[in-house]
Amino acid sequence: MTRVLLIGYGNSLRGDDAIGPMALERLHTQLGNAEFLSCHQLTPELAERVAACDLALFVDATSDGEPGTADVKLLSPELPDEASLTHHVQPAALLELALTLYGRAPRAMLVTGAGANFENIEGLSEKGQEALDEICRVIPTLI
Amino acid sequence: MPTITIDPVTRIEGHARITVQLDEQGEVQDARFHVTQVRGFEKLCQGRPFTEMPALMARICGICPTSHLLASSKACDDIMAVRIPETAEKLRRIMNLAQIIQSHALSFFYLSSPDFLLGMDADPEERNIMGVVRKYPQMARDGIKLRQFGQRVLETLGGKRVHPGWIVPGGVSHPFLAEQRDQILGEIPEAIRITRNALHWFKGQIEFFRAEVRSFANFPSLFLAMANDAQEFSAYNGWLRFIDANLNIVADHITGADYMNYIGESANDDSYLKSTYFKPYGLANGMYRVGPLARLNMCKSAGTLQADEELAEFRELERHSVLSSFYYHYARLIEILFSIERMDTLLHDPEILGKNVRAHAAPNRFEGVGILEAPRGTLIHHYHIDQNGLIETANLVIATGHNNLAINHGVLQVARQFVKGNTLEQGMLNRVEAVVRAFDPCLSCSTHAIGTMPLDIQLLSADGAVLDRLRR
Repeated sequence: MTRVLLIGYGNSLRGDDAIGPMALERLHTQLGNAEFLSCHQLTPELAERVAACDLALFVDATSDGEPGTADVKLLSPELPDEASLTHHVQPAALLELALTLYGRAPRAMLVTGAGANFENIEGLSEKGQEALDEICRVIPTLI
Repeated sequence: MPTITIDPVTRIEGHARITVQLDEQGEVQDARFHVTQVRGFEKLCQGRPFTEMPALMARICGICPTSHLLASSKACDDIMAVRIPETAEKLRRIMNLAQIIQSHALSFFYLSSPDFLLGMDADPEERNIMGVVRKYPQMARDGIKLRQFGQRVLETLGGKRVHPGWIVPGGVSHPFLAEQRDQILGEIPEAIRITRNALHWFKGQIEFFRAEVRSFANFPSLFLAMANDAQEFSAYNGWLRFIDANLNIVADHITGADYMNYIGESANDDSYLKSTYFKPYGLANGMYRVGPLARLNMCKSAGTLQADEELAEFRELERHSVLSSFYYHYARLIEILFSIERMDTLLHDPEILGKNVRAHAAPNRFEGVGILEAPRGTLIHHYHIDQNGLIETANLVIATGHNNLAINHGVLQVARQFVKGNTLEQGMLNRVEAVVRAFDPCLSCSTHAIGTMPLDIQLLSADGAVLDRLRR
């Protein structure tokens, strides 16, 4: 059986930045066999769990693109441009860490929802909500 | 006057820059560490109910939220005038130990190990954690595993790794479960193995860093840390004590009620970070250090078997107190070992599973002070409330503030040792940064890394012409 890991990350106190963790909340019952992980940001400690799965889906919010839309990109291991890696890492760098340290990088995709409001508020904007809906429609088709 | 600016300082928790001023002959005249971010938490909490303070104060930082949570809760305990249940105190101690483990692991393995493993003079493109990952993957795996252990303990007890809400005024919100205890106990042997390996390795490296040992904030100073009757390592309960470089007690039995008689705070024109000083000696002579080095100099014993063996060896470094701040790294590893051992002892105490974990009370005082040893040093939260229980004033005295004078002194010492003349080399500038890293300053980084910003250093002549420039 394919081991699927969904990592939703973002800050629930910064408006539409919460799209990733909220997507995981909504998909939890629908994708019962997958492993779910919500966090504020990606950190090096996640590399071991990433290395242990067959498919990793990174679910994030973005300020790029048309607000309310979703986007999917294939990821491959990649060294970070600025190799600090102290507190947070990009998904491709996390794959690189998984590969270098644990000998394995899974097939991986970055699923983003374009938000409109990233101010210090709780809850999604109307466009953020649309992006969330779209993400939750797309993700099951990727597994 | 020619000035070199290192902006930002990399691989530290927060935003800062260093300026090095040269004289006409190209010799270092002065050097300063400037914190360029403002925190503002003392102001924004005014008017909030005191019971909100632990959760609010934890938001100061994404690395050491548990320390602020604990100090804040202790200040609230003081306002309520309650003695929290013994089970709750033991659980809080475990949280504090887990915080020390994860924070020290971050400092040693992620932030500073590139300097030790790849060399102070290595190309900065390589001298970072990714360079360690490529060349020393086992060390990187160990660092990740050890930090993971500390974080997992925080998550197991507190519900989440960052900003756990479990610690509350009066104790903790709910009891600890046997299966949670057993899960943590199962991971302890591996955590000890990793720490002992790192200690063994680091001790073997010291001889290659003699110049850094000599010049990294290596000078006599006072030390401040928590003390207790047993003269053992103390991170949660006790009073404050100042000692001098010869281990003489300078001031003792300082409590929350009178810390302001001993600790002065001075605002700086060129930095948002205040400098604290030993008040009886004044700002000019009152420099002191806190954190792992101070704590190990302070205690007679760690109080655990393996850490005591390491402490005995550590003490052989110097006749009296250990003065070089390069040894903060060494002290951090010993503190990790102690924290794991002490956690193991606490987890084997049957009382840890007790159900009485919270004392309830309304405010009984208008003032409260909470003190504990955070990973980087002594942390003080001091609140005043009004008759409705709303915060009137809050004063936070944070480890990096205690160390600010020593950090500045250390930057100048290293700059004079390694920065020469009109040509800049990465190695010399990295050492200026590395002495700051030895203190592991935390500048309220919250959630972002500083390493994503460029480093631009300019060496200017007296008339403003660019003599040399380095960029990262």
